[in-house]
Amino acid sequence: MLEETAALTFRALRKWVRNPASVMPGLFTAMFYLALFGSSFNPANLIPAAYASAASSFLKADFGGAPTYITYLTSGVICIILVFNMAFGGIDLVLDRQLGYLNSLLTAPVPRAAIYLSGVAQNLAKVLLLAVLTFIVALFIPNGLQLPASFGVVDFLGTFVAFVLLGLGLSFVFTALALTVRSIDSLVAIVNFLTLPIMFMSNAFFPPSIFPGWLRDVADVNPVTKANEAARLLIVNGGALTSSELGTYEADIAYLVVFAAVLGLIGYLAAKRALRPE
Amino acid sequence: MADIIQAEGLTKVYHGKVKAVDHISFHVSEGEIFGFLGPNGAGKTTTIKMLNTLASITEGRATVAGHDVAKEPGAVRKSIGVVPQELTADDELSGTENMMLMARLHHVRGSAATAKIGELLRLVDLEDASRRKVKTFSGGMRRRLQLVMGLLHEPKVLFLDEPTLGLDVQTRSKMWNYIKGLNKDRGLTVFMTTHYLDEADSLCERIAIVDHGTIKVSGSPAELKAAHGGDVVTLKLSGGADLTEFFSGIEGVSEVAREGDVYRIKLPRAERALPAIVTGVVQKNLEIQEISFSKPTLDQVFLDVVGRSMRDEEASESDSAWENIRMERAR
Ligand SMILES: Nc1ncnc2c1ncn2[C@@H]1O[C@H](COP(=O)(O)OP(=O)(O)OP(=O)(O)O)[C@@H](O)[C@H]1O
Ligand SMILES: [Mg+2]
Repeated sequence: MLEETAALTFRALRKWVRNPASVMPGLFTAMFYLALFGSSFNPANLIPAAYASAASSFLKADFGGAPTYITYLTSGVICIILVFNMAFGGIDLVLDRQLGYLNSLLTAPVPRAAIYLSGVAQNLAKVLLLAVLTFIVALFIPNGLQLPASFGVVDFLGTFVAFVLLGLGLSFVFTALALTVRSIDSLVAIVNFLTLPIMFMSNAFFPPSIFPGWLRDVADVNPVTKANEAARLLIVNGGALTSSELGTYEADIAYLVVFAAVLGLIGYLAAKRALRPE
Repeated sequence: MADIIQAEGLTKVYHGKVKAVDHISFHVSEGEIFGFLGPNGAGKTTTIKMLNTLASITEGRATVAGHDVAKEPGAVRKSIGVVPQELTADDELSGTENMMLMARLHHVRGSAATAKIGELLRLVDLEDASRRKVKTFSGGMRRRLQLVMGLLHEPKVLFLDEPTLGLDVQTRSKMWNYIKGLNKDRGLTVFMTTHYLDEADSLCERIAIVDHGTIKVSGSPAELKAAHGGDVVTLKLSGGADLTEFFSGIEGVSEVAREGDVYRIKLPRAERALPAIVTGVVQKNLEIQEISFSKPTLDQVFLDVVGRSMRDEEASESDSAWENIRMERAR
């Protein structure tokens, strides 16, 4: 099964690598989010200059001590990029079905799980590259992502463990969804319906501590919130986590592991159903 | 010879409403080229889909290469090659890369795979073009590539759904030669569908004529033509009395149809009865304006068993229009 999964994933990535320009739309979106939200939502700008010191203490207290708003925002934007591109990445799979390509796999002795997993893997690979690029771009934005001196390779990897787990869970659902729907229109409709709440009912742009109670309750269980919380702990503090911060990080990661595992199971069952003979 | 495909009362109802295939039974012997001939919507593709595990079987049963399609789909998939009606090779990959992927999916590896791919591409005269992306291929090249993409694992049965749809006459006869070659040289059993009468006639050893999901008649093209066709003499006279009765009385004539001054006379061997027909007309002081006779065609068989001509349908639903729709969708 691994051989088929690899062969199919390779096919998708090869097409993608041949057309490097295809990362550009995603990357531009990430840059716009960082630059536009980074200045228009920036509490330092929203609060009049006379209250500058209040603004900076607000940033410190509620934004987890991030030195700039973009430092806070970067992980949020990466999560949004993950959600959006993962959701729309399914379009390729719908096209594969519509053009009959999927049928040519289904009549070959290819395990159905390999068809599903290659969809998950190709989506994840594409989106993670975008995530890494977004992280790098944020570093170069003026007043942008400022990492602490103690931020090392391990912290970078720790940050991305959170993103990978979130991405994996999302890829499990959205790949199963793409195999289930029969048209791009219905995929886009469902995806539009899902992505906005996922994005705004989370800590991607603002800390839930300033949300009304009901919204905070939803945001607190949103896996996007967990991934951001874990990633921000490392982005803001680098290697210098207190033991309670480390505990929070570990709990977030555990939450994301369970999230990915549950969605993997649900996604697999849904995909198996979607790939049954018509 | 053993039956490599057996279908017993095969039925497909889509979404509990559309009865696409209605209790059909047939068998295909090993090494045979067997064809389903029928107009658009007859249920040809649906039958293939049931046999190649893409569509569930609503009722009835089928075995392919000794395996029950519903119970052992995995074993069936290992023994079949499928060339679908749509062009499904990946546009963005080259011919060779498409073949390579299919080889890996069928666990054909390493130098064996390279050798097999080279051999098959040579067989359909694509070895030079195969390094190019498929999106630069012509329709004929795509069909040729598709034909051999289904053969990497040396299947026992090849399913060909409309293998020459949208191809010009020359390219079509080339495709026929490739298919005949595969059948002769490799003993490959071919189950194919077509709505081209000449294709069924020149390629298939046995055919089944299908319409509205049922098999109307089956047999070798020659048998069918002898049983249902016969020769037809078409005669146009310059008015005058009704000669239907007279023509019917001529020895061997089985049927006479009259439309105005045009008579269609059906009989086993036209050249024998022609003198009697002509003499009769002259004796009655009538003038023959046109006369022709035709040897039997599958179209006549179709007309005979289905009650309408297949050519009419071909004209009304042209292939190019069909292909355009697909190309639109592909964009
Ligand atoms: N997935 C489907 N859902 C519902 N109806 C279907 C489906 N596929 C085919 N049909 C219907 O079943 C009937 C037979 O279709 P099928 O594709 O088998 O015909 P065909 O003989 O292959 O025709 P063509 O020459 O146009 O390819 C048609 O009436 C078609 O509309
Ligand atoms: Mg068809």
